[in-house]
Formats: sequence, C-alpha cells, structure tokens
Amino acid sequence: MNFTTAIINGLMVGGLYGLFGLGLAFAFGIMRIVNIAHGEFIVLGAYLGASLLALTPLPLFAVVILVGLISFAAGWLMQTALLNRLVGPNPVPAMVTTMGLSIIIRNMLVEVYGADIRSIEVGALQNQGVNILGVSIGVLPILIFCVSIILFALMHIMMTRTTMGRAFRAAADDYEILETLGFNRQRIYSIAMGLAVTLSAIAGLMLAMRSSFSPYSGVERLLISFEIVIIGGLGSLRGSFLAGLFLGVVQLVGLQINPNSGPLFSHLAFFVILLAKQAELPLLLSRRHS
Amino acid sequence: MTLLDLENVDVFHRDLQAVFGVSLTVAEGEAIAIIGANGAGKSTLLRAIIGLTPSRNGQITFAGENITRLHCSVVSRRGIAIVPEGRRLFSSLTVEENLQLAMSRARKGPWTLQSVYDLFPAMHEFRRHKASDISGGQQQMVAVSRALLTNPRLLLCDELSLGLAPKVISDIYACFAKIRASGVSIVLVEQDTVRARSASDRLYCLLKGKVTLEGKSSSVGHDEIRGAYFGGSHA
Repeated sequence: MNFTTAIINGLMVGGLYGLFGLGLAFAFGIMRIVNIAHGEFIVLGAYLGASLLALTPLPLFAVVILVGLISFAAGWLMQTALLNRLVGPNPVPAMVTTMGLSIIIRNMLVEVYGADIRSIEVGALQNQGVNILGVSIGVLPILIFCVSIILFALMHIMMTRTTMGRAFRAAADDYEILETLGFNRQRIYSIAMGLAVTLSAIAGLMLAMRSSFSPYSGVERLLISFEIVIIGGLGSLRGSFLAGLFLGVVQLVGLQINPNSGPLFSHLAFFVILLAKQAELPLLLSRRHS
Repeated sequence: MTLLDLENVDVFHRDLQAVFGVSLTVAEGEAIAIIGANGAGKSTLLRAIIGLTPSRNGQITFAGENITRLHCSVVSRRGIAIVPEGRRLFSSLTVEENLQLAMSRARKGPWTLQSVYDLFPAMHEFRRHKASDISGGQQQMVAVSRALLTNPRLLLCDELSLGLAPKVISDIYACFAKIRASGVSIVLVEQDTVRARSASDRLYCLLKGKVTLEGKSSSVGHDEIRGAYFGGSHA
C-alpha cells in the first residue's frame, strides 16, 4: 500500500527529473555545451516562482508560464552574450564560464533570499487528493506529472514537425552546412539554450511545490540531471523521460524503506547502471564527436 | 555579365596559406571547372567563396556586390549554394527533412520539391529514409537537390564524383544540362579532368594554391593540362 503510493509519487517526481535531464541533454546534444549552471537555473526557477506567488496576485498557472518566459530570456541572454563567443572544438571554456555563472547565481540567491531551506506553498491544491483503486494520490502531483508529459510531447512535436526542430537536429549533425542553407548558427544556439533553461526552470519550480530547496540545491539537481543524461542517452527524448521516471521511483521507494536515505538509493541505482553499461560508455561519449 | 569575380584572393587555414592570389570570374549562366591535384586548394577556394573560410586578402564580388566579409548564412541568401565534398547530409534527418530544411530559408525561384523529384525520380522512393541509411549515389542526389532548393544563382559543386561508381557519376552529371537550363551558373571542382572538361565552358587549374592554367574547356590541350596539374617543365 505504502509502496504503491511511493511508486506513483516516484513517477511524478521522475517526470520532473526527466525534464532536468532533457534540459541538460538538449544543450549538450545541439551545441556540445555542458552547462554547469544547469542546477542553479533549476533552483532559480523555484525562487522566481516563489517570489511571483508571494508578491503578485497571479494564479499558479500564470506564474508557471511567466517563469518559463523569463527563464527563456535568461538562457537566450546567457548564450548570446557569453557562450556564443566560446563555441568551438574545445568544450572547456564554456564549462568554466557556466561554472563561474553557477557560483554567481548561487551567491546572489543567498544574498537576496538567505540560505534557509524553504518550499513553495500553493494553497488548497497542496492537500487535495483523489482516491483511485484504494490508493490516495494528491491532485498536485497528478497535475505536475501531466505538465511534464505535455512538455515532453511539445518538445517531440517541435523537434519532428517544425523547421526550428529540424534546424536543431541539423545543427547537431553539421552546423556548417546548415549555415550554407541560410541559417544563423548563433541565433539557433541562443534559442536552443533558451528552451533548455525554460524546461529546467519550469521543472525546478514544480519540484519546489513537492519538496524543499535552498540556494545550495543546484548541485544536487545538476547531479541528477547528469545521471539521467547518462542513463537515457543524449539524443533521445524518450530516454530522458524513462530515465527520469526510473530514478524518481527508486528514490521515493528508497525513502519509504529508509526515510533518512535522501537521494542515496537513486545514486546507487545509477552506479549499478554505470557498471552495467561500462562497455557502452566510450561509445556513448565518442559517437557524438565524430 | 559577370556573376562572380574573385580578385587576388588569399585564403588561410589558421596560419597555413592554402590559396595564393587567385583571380577568377564566372559569367551569368556559365559553368566553370576548377581542376587540380589533392591539396591544390580547390575546396578551400569554394569555402572562401561561400564564406565558410573567409579570405584574408583580395575581394570577392557577387552580382555586383562585395561579399568578401559577409557571413556564410548571408552569402547563401544572396544566391550561392554548395554541394559539399563528401555530401554531408544531415544524418539524423530523413531525406525529405533534409530537403525541407533547405526550402525554409530559400530564395524565390524555379526549384521546388516537385522539380527536384522530377530531376531525380529515384529520390521519391527513399524520401522517408534516414539520410545516413542510403547509398553514396543516392546521398549525392539529395545533396544536389538540397543545394538547388535554396534557389541559388551560383551552384558550387565539390568533388561530385568522389567515391561513386562511374554509372552513378554519369547519372548525376546528366542532370547538369537541366540545372543550367534553369539559369543557374556552376563552379565545378573535380579531380577527374575528363569529366570536368566535358561539363564546363571554361576551366582553371590550381597547383599549390595558384592558378596555373586558364582557358576554354574545349580548346585547352591535354599536355597543357598535365603540365598545369602536376607542375614541372610543362608549366
């Protein structure tokens, strides 16, 4: 009974983890940029949402959309102002730059909000539940899970049906040739980073409605994102989604077994997969370089 | 009327100079061939024309406009397209997605999805395949179509015959007449001098980044070409 609830809640948290992974994989898959500030953008989404909810009378869904728009602008700006100058065969300059950015964002958050652990209260929605086959599930986690699925579906449609999506995939294949077809690589990169940050920030905001966060939560979120990218693979939306669900379920079932375990069990599960996939890893890493 | 005009163009790969003071012209509707051995600077010259490797000195004029310093994505919108060496299709996209992408920033012109399928009817059968899953000859058809769909005034073709069977090469070159009839001018880079001569009006021979021979394709002699191609006493 408790385990059923844990699994169902795990799936819902896992949908968000999937979005974390997708945000990181998207930036790396298209631009070869490892965004070390990824975790900070996730936390930034949470703080931004908390502030908007506290300071404005906007309803929750409007806050989610507004956080999405602002984070798109932030990602776009980061890529346009900084990272587009650094793209090239060497991935290190962009890594160092985003690492610096992560330190700046983290300390800015401490300065503005303090280092306290907090969570987002969303009012009556927090405690509403429905009974499905004897298992009680919160309305909020169901909504959150639906939003994750919708975001994944929208990404899939965008990548396969639209010119922008095709241009993203083509940029990953051969950006020079894409430019000979009249596309501007830097403009495509800026939009891609905007989208990657949007996904992460919205997922971060939704996770904050279910669990606590502080300015220092970014590192933990980045770690989860890396694990999902490695388990799920780089090019695959479905891989990110399934890997997210897997880690989410393992983590919540683990918490059921030992309430003090935190993310221990999901990290252990990742470690086991890493051992099992050892032979494939060099392939995984080199495939995208050729 | 002159469509493309290169004056004393120098092109570098990082610090290494690959093209030395090359001047050449392409008239509207004309097809020229650039021949030369491996490493003569032919591909680099094409990259400089379309703006992938900007030339350091000299001037490139296209349709009366100085395009020397323009970014590649801008040059392509002015009407230059390239069929790159080794085809370089977008391998994770299907054949038709490759073509659609070329159309999305295309200039106005005669080339449409329908007209490239008419040019290469075989392409229709594998249009839903991944670009990485088709044969080299099929890929070359897609690469030519992709470039045409941007509706260029000038088409740069880099080593169309590379790694393809003679029959397939003949099929691809057979469509050149139709492409030229649509008003497109062509710069053809080839190692196969026979192929290059028969498909062009004039030819230039490059040797170690310099023009060693220039003339009408129908009138340059075999020995002249050999001298210009390999250097030594003939040149």
